[in-house]
Amino acid sequence: MKAVSSTTLWATGILLFVALLAAPASAQESPKLSDAEVASVAVIANQIDIDQARLAQERSENEAVLQFAQTMINDHEAVIKQATDLVQKLGVTPQENAVGKQLQDDAAKTAKMLKTKSGAAFDKAYVENEVAYHQAVISAVEDLLIPESENEELRGLLESIVPALQTHLEHAQMLQNQLNEK
Amino acid sequence: MKSLKLLPVDLSLLGLMLLCTTFAPLPKPKVHTIEISQMQFKPATLVVSAGDTLVFVNRDMVSHNATEQSGTSWKSPTLASGDSWRMAITKSAAYYCSFHPTMKGEVKVE
Ligand SMILES: [Cu+2]
Repeated sequence: MKAVSSTTLWATGILLFVALLAAPASAQESPKLSDAEVASVAVIANQIDIDQARLAQERSENEAVLQFAQTMINDHEAVIKQATDLVQKLGVTPQENAVGKQLQDDAAKTAKMLKTKSGAAFDKAYVENEVAYHQAVISAVEDLLIPESENEELRGLLESIVPALQTHLEHAQMLQNQLNEK
Repeated sequence: MKSLKLLPVDLSLLGLMLLCTTFAPLPKPKVHTIEISQMQFKPATLVVSAGDTLVFVNRDMVSHNATEQSGTSWKSPTLASGDSWRMAITKSAAYYCSFHPTMKGEVKVE
Protein backbone atom coordinates (compact mmCIF):
# COMPACT_ATOMS: atom_id res chain seq x y z
CA MET A 1 0.00 0.00 0.00
CA LYS A 2 1.21 3.46 -0.84
CA ALA A 3 -0.10 6.77 0.52
CA VAL A 4 0.06 5.55 4.13
CA SER A 5 2.48 8.39 4.86
CA SER A 6 -0.30 10.51 6.33
CA THR A 7 -0.64 10.15 10.08
CA THR A 8 -4.22 11.36 10.26
CA LEU A 9 -7.09 9.13 11.14
CA TRP A 10 -8.04 8.67 7.50
CA ALA A 11 -4.94 6.58 7.11
CA THR A 12 -5.78 4.34 10.02
CA GLY A 13 -9.50 4.30 9.19
CA ILE A 14 -10.23 3.73 5.52
CA LEU A 15 -6.86 2.41 4.52
CA LEU A 16 -7.13 -0.38 7.05
CA PHE A 17 -10.45 -1.36 5.51
CA VAL A 18 -9.00 -1.16 2.06
CA ALA A 19 -6.09 -3.38 3.08
CA LEU A 20 -8.40 -5.92 4.71
CA LEU A 21 -11.01 -6.01 2.00
CA ALA A 22 -8.93 -5.49 -1.10
CA ALA A 23 -6.56 -8.35 -0.40
CA PRO A 24 -9.08 -11.20 -0.89
CA ALA A 25 -10.69 -9.34 -3.81
CA SER A 26 -7.43 -9.16 -5.70
CA ALA A 27 -7.03 -12.89 -5.15
CA GLN A 28 -10.26 -13.41 -7.13
CA GLU A 29 -12.33 -14.30 -4.04
CA SER A 30 -16.02 -13.50 -3.96
CA PRO A 31 -16.63 -9.74 -3.43
CA LYS A 32 -17.04 -8.47 0.10
CA LEU A 33 -19.16 -5.48 -0.96
CA SER A 34 -22.28 -5.63 -3.08
CA ASP A 35 -22.87 -2.94 -5.73
CA ALA A 36 -25.55 -1.46 -3.44
CA GLU A 37 -22.89 -1.13 -0.74
CA VAL A 38 -20.28 0.27 -3.14
CA ALA A 39 -22.80 2.92 -4.24
CA SER A 40 -23.53 3.81 -0.62
CA VAL A 41 -19.81 4.23 0.20
CA ALA A 42 -19.32 6.37 -2.92
CA VAL A 43 -22.14 8.74 -1.95
CA ILE A 44 -20.97 8.95 1.69
CA ALA A 45 -17.36 9.66 0.67
CA ASN A 46 -18.50 12.56 -1.52
CA GLN A 47 -20.97 13.89 1.06
CA ILE A 48 -18.25 13.97 3.73
CA ASP A 49 -16.10 16.26 1.61
CA ILE A 50 -19.08 18.56 0.96
CA ASP A 51 -19.77 18.77 4.71
CA GLN A 52 -16.13 19.61 5.49
CA ALA A 53 -16.19 22.30 2.77
CA ARG A 54 -19.35 23.84 4.32
CA LEU A 55 -17.46 23.98 7.62
CA ALA A 56 -14.61 25.77 5.83
CA GLN A 57 -17.09 28.27 4.37
CA GLU A 58 -18.26 29.04 7.90
CA ARG A 59 -14.83 29.33 9.49
CA SER A 60 -12.27 30.41 6.87
CA GLU A 61 -11.54 33.95 5.70
CA ASN A 62 -8.80 32.94 3.27
CA GLU A 63 -9.93 33.63 -0.32
CA ALA A 64 -7.98 30.69 -1.82
CA VAL A 65 -9.31 28.29 0.83
CA LEU A 66 -12.88 29.53 0.29
CA GLN A 67 -12.58 29.04 -3.46
CA PHE A 68 -11.21 25.54 -2.95
CA ALA A 69 -14.12 24.73 -0.63
CA GLN A 70 -16.62 25.98 -3.23
CA THR A 71 -15.00 23.76 -5.88
CA MET A 72 -15.24 20.76 -3.52
CA ILE A 73 -18.96 21.42 -3.00
CA ASN A 74 -19.68 21.86 -6.72
CA ASP A 75 -17.63 18.86 -7.89
CA HIS A 76 -18.68 16.38 -5.21
CA GLU A 77 -22.33 17.40 -5.70
CA ALA A 78 -21.93 16.69 -9.43
CA VAL A 79 -20.49 13.24 -8.62
CA ILE A 80 -23.32 12.46 -6.18
CA LYS A 81 -25.87 13.46 -8.83
CA GLN A 82 -24.25 11.10 -11.37
CA ALA A 83 -24.12 8.28 -8.80
CA THR A 84 -27.74 8.86 -7.77
CA ASP A 85 -28.91 8.93 -11.39
CA LEU A 86 -27.02 5.71 -12.09
CA VAL A 87 -28.33 3.73 -9.10
CA GLN A 88 -31.85 4.83 -10.00
CA LYS A 89 -31.33 3.67 -13.57
CA LEU A 90 -29.90 0.36 -12.32
CA GLY A 91 -32.69 -0.05 -9.77
CA VAL A 92 -30.18 -0.37 -6.93
CA THR A 93 -30.86 0.98 -3.44
CA PRO A 94 -27.60 2.09 -1.78
CA GLN A 95 -27.05 -0.02 1.31
CA GLU A 96 -25.30 1.07 4.49
CA ASN A 97 -22.26 -0.95 5.51
CA ALA A 98 -19.19 -1.04 7.74
CA VAL A 99 -16.92 0.87 5.34
CA GLY A 100 -19.36 3.78 5.03
CA LYS A 101 -19.90 3.74 8.79
CA GLN A 102 -16.14 3.92 9.39
CA LEU A 103 -15.90 6.90 7.01
CA GLN A 104 -18.69 8.72 8.82
CA ASP A 105 -17.17 8.03 12.26
CA ASP A 106 -13.79 9.36 11.12
CA ALA A 107 -15.45 12.40 9.51
CA ALA A 108 -17.26 13.21 12.75
CA LYS A 109 -13.91 13.16 14.62
CA THR A 110 -12.34 15.41 11.98
CA ALA A 111 -15.25 17.87 12.11
CA LYS A 112 -14.99 17.99 15.90
CA MET A 113 -11.25 18.72 15.66
CA LEU A 114 -11.76 21.40 12.98
CA LYS A 115 -14.43 23.13 15.04
CA THR A 116 -11.88 23.81 17.78
CA LYS A 117 -9.80 25.89 15.34
CA SER A 118 -10.15 29.27 13.66
CA GLY A 119 -8.25 31.63 11.38
CA ALA A 120 -4.94 30.47 9.95
CA ALA A 121 -4.86 27.42 12.23
CA PHE A 122 -8.22 26.31 10.83
CA ASP A 123 -7.05 26.83 7.24
CA LYS A 124 -3.96 24.69 7.78
CA ALA A 125 -5.86 21.92 9.55
CA TYR A 126 -8.65 21.89 6.95
CA VAL A 127 -6.28 21.81 3.98
CA GLU A 128 -4.05 19.19 5.60
CA ASN A 129 -7.09 17.02 6.18
CA GLU A 130 -8.20 17.53 2.56
CA VAL A 131 -4.82 16.26 1.36
CA ALA A 132 -5.03 13.17 3.57
CA TYR A 133 -8.72 12.60 2.82
CA HIS A 134 -8.29 12.71 -0.95
CA GLN A 135 -5.29 10.38 -0.74
CA ALA A 136 -7.34 7.94 1.32
CA VAL A 137 -10.39 8.19 -0.95
CA ILE A 138 -8.30 7.67 -4.10
CA SER A 139 -6.89 4.50 -2.52
CA ALA A 140 -10.36 3.37 -1.44
CA VAL A 141 -11.82 3.95 -4.93
CA GLU A 142 -8.95 2.31 -6.79
CA ASP A 143 -8.19 -0.58 -4.43
CA LEU A 144 -11.62 -1.34 -3.01
CA LEU A 145 -14.64 0.19 -4.74
CA ILE A 146 -13.58 -0.36 -8.37
CA PRO A 147 -12.47 -4.00 -7.83
CA GLU A 148 -15.66 -4.68 -5.82
CA SER A 149 -18.04 -3.27 -8.47
CA GLU A 150 -19.74 -5.92 -10.53
CA ASN A 151 -21.80 -3.58 -12.69
CA GLU A 152 -19.79 -2.14 -15.57
CA GLU A 153 -21.48 1.28 -15.49
CA LEU A 154 -20.88 1.61 -11.76
CA ARG A 155 -17.23 0.71 -12.29
CA GLY A 156 -17.06 3.18 -15.18
CA LEU A 157 -18.45 5.97 -13.01
CA LEU A 158 -15.93 5.23 -10.25
CA GLU A 159 -13.09 5.19 -12.75
CA SER A 160 -14.23 8.51 -14.21
CA ILE A 161 -14.08 10.30 -10.84
CA VAL A 162 -10.44 9.37 -10.11
CA PRO A 163 -8.98 12.22 -12.26
CA ALA A 164 -11.15 14.74 -10.38
CA LEU A 165 -10.02 13.34 -7.01
CA GLN A 166 -6.42 13.53 -8.21
CA THR A 167 -6.89 17.17 -9.29
CA HIS A 168 -8.45 18.01 -5.91
CA LEU A 169 -5.47 16.40 -4.18
CA GLU A 170 -3.00 18.48 -6.22
CA HIS A 171 -5.06 21.62 -5.55
CA ALA A 172 -5.03 20.90 -1.80
CA GLN A 173 -1.28 20.25 -1.88
CA MET A 174 -0.77 23.55 -3.71
CA LEU A 175 -2.75 25.37 -0.99
CA GLN A 176 -0.83 23.53 1.70
CA ASN A 177 2.45 24.86 0.25
CA GLN A 178 1.04 28.39 0.02
CA LEU A 179 -0.17 28.32 3.63
CA ASN A 180 3.16 26.98 4.87
CA GLU A 181 5.04 29.80 3.14
CA LYS A 182 3.13 32.42 5.14
CA MET B 1 -7.57 64.29 -78.31
CA LYS B 2 -8.59 60.77 -77.72
CA SER B 3 -10.25 60.13 -74.40
CA LEU B 4 -9.09 57.16 -72.31
CA LYS B 5 -11.69 54.46 -72.53
CA LEU B 6 -11.87 51.20 -70.64
CA LEU B 7 -13.66 48.30 -72.19
CA PRO B 8 -15.92 46.21 -69.94
CA VAL B 9 -13.40 43.36 -70.20
CA ASP B 10 -10.61 45.57 -68.86
CA LEU B 11 -12.80 46.68 -66.00
CA SER B 12 -13.58 43.17 -64.89
CA LEU B 13 -9.91 42.24 -65.09
CA LEU B 14 -9.03 45.23 -62.98
CA GLY B 15 -11.67 44.21 -60.45
CA LEU B 16 -10.33 40.69 -60.33
CA MET B 17 -6.78 41.98 -59.74
CA LEU B 18 -8.01 44.20 -56.91
CA LEU B 19 -9.88 41.30 -55.34
CA CYS B 20 -6.81 39.12 -55.51
CA THR B 21 -4.48 41.64 -53.88
CA THR B 22 -7.02 42.43 -51.16
CA PHE B 23 -8.13 38.95 -50.12
CA ALA B 24 -5.88 36.25 -51.48
CA PRO B 25 -2.92 36.55 -49.06
CA LEU B 26 -5.19 36.06 -46.00
CA PRO B 27 -5.79 32.40 -45.22
CA LYS B 28 -9.26 31.49 -44.00
CA PRO B 29 -9.48 31.61 -40.16
CA LYS B 30 -9.61 28.15 -38.64
CA VAL B 31 -11.67 26.78 -35.78
CA HIS B 32 -9.74 24.77 -33.16
CA THR B 33 -11.53 22.67 -30.57
CA ILE B 34 -10.04 22.30 -27.10
CA GLU B 35 -11.73 19.45 -25.30
CA ILE B 36 -11.85 19.46 -21.51
CA SER B 37 -11.99 15.89 -20.28
CA GLN B 38 -10.55 13.92 -17.36
CA MET B 39 -9.57 17.26 -15.81
CA GLN B 40 -7.31 18.23 -18.72
CA PHE B 41 -7.34 20.68 -21.59
CA LYS B 42 -6.77 18.61 -24.74
CA PRO B 43 -4.56 19.53 -26.48
CA ALA B 44 -2.80 21.34 -23.63
CA THR B 45 -0.61 23.22 -26.13
CA LEU B 46 -2.02 24.51 -29.40
CA VAL B 47 -0.43 26.56 -32.23
CA VAL B 48 -2.87 28.81 -34.13
CA SER B 49 -2.92 31.84 -36.45
CA ALA B 50 -4.11 35.27 -35.34
CA GLY B 51 -7.86 35.54 -35.89
CA ASP B 52 -8.51 31.82 -35.52
CA THR B 53 -11.34 30.69 -33.31
CA LEU B 54 -11.01 28.53 -30.19
CA VAL B 55 -13.90 26.39 -29.03
CA PHE B 56 -13.70 25.01 -25.49
CA VAL B 57 -15.97 22.00 -24.91
CA ASN B 58 -16.48 20.53 -21.43
CA ARG B 59 -16.90 16.75 -21.55
CA ASP B 60 -16.44 16.22 -17.78
CA MET B 61 -19.25 15.82 -15.26
CA VAL B 62 -17.84 18.73 -13.19
CA SER B 63 -17.81 22.40 -14.24
CA HIS B 64 -14.69 24.11 -15.56
CA ASN B 65 -13.66 27.41 -17.15
CA ALA B 66 -10.76 28.77 -19.17
CA THR B 67 -9.12 31.84 -17.64
CA GLU B 68 -6.24 33.72 -19.22
CA GLN B 69 -3.29 33.46 -16.79
CA SER B 70 -3.00 37.14 -15.82
CA GLY B 71 -6.75 37.22 -15.20
CA THR B 72 -7.07 40.52 -17.08
CA SER B 73 -7.31 39.50 -20.73
CA TRP B 74 -10.13 36.98 -21.13
CA LYS B 75 -12.15 34.43 -19.19
CA SER B 76 -14.84 32.01 -20.27
CA PRO B 77 -18.10 31.77 -18.35
CA THR B 78 -18.56 28.70 -16.15
CA LEU B 79 -18.83 25.70 -18.47
CA ALA B 80 -21.11 23.06 -17.00
CA SER B 81 -20.97 19.50 -18.31
CA GLY B 82 -21.62 19.56 -22.06
CA ASP B 83 -21.28 23.36 -22.43
CA SER B 84 -19.01 24.98 -25.00
CA TRP B 85 -17.64 28.49 -25.49
CA ARG B 86 -15.94 30.10 -28.47
CA MET B 87 -13.58 33.04 -28.77
CA ALA B 88 -11.41 34.65 -31.46
CA ILE B 89 -7.75 34.49 -30.48
CA THR B 90 -5.31 37.25 -31.46
CA LYS B 91 -2.52 36.92 -28.88
CA SER B 92 -0.56 34.01 -27.42
CA ALA B 93 -1.84 33.12 -23.97
CA ALA B 94 -1.33 30.79 -21.06
CA TYR B 95 -4.59 29.88 -19.38
CA TYR B 96 -5.93 27.76 -16.51
CA CYS B 97 -9.19 26.71 -14.88
CA SER B 98 -9.89 28.98 -11.91
CA PHE B 99 -11.90 26.22 -10.19
CA HIS B 100 -8.99 23.77 -10.55
CA PRO B 101 -5.83 25.91 -10.69
CA THR B 102 -3.60 22.92 -11.46
CA MET B 103 -5.40 22.51 -14.84
CA LYS B 104 -3.37 24.49 -17.38
CA GLY B 105 -3.14 25.10 -21.12
CA GLU B 106 -1.38 27.29 -23.65
CA VAL B 107 -2.22 28.78 -27.04
CA LYS B 108 0.59 30.06 -29.23
CA VAL B 109 -0.33 32.50 -31.99
CA GLU B 110 2.09 32.38 -34.92
CU1 LIG C 1 -11.61 22.85 -13.96
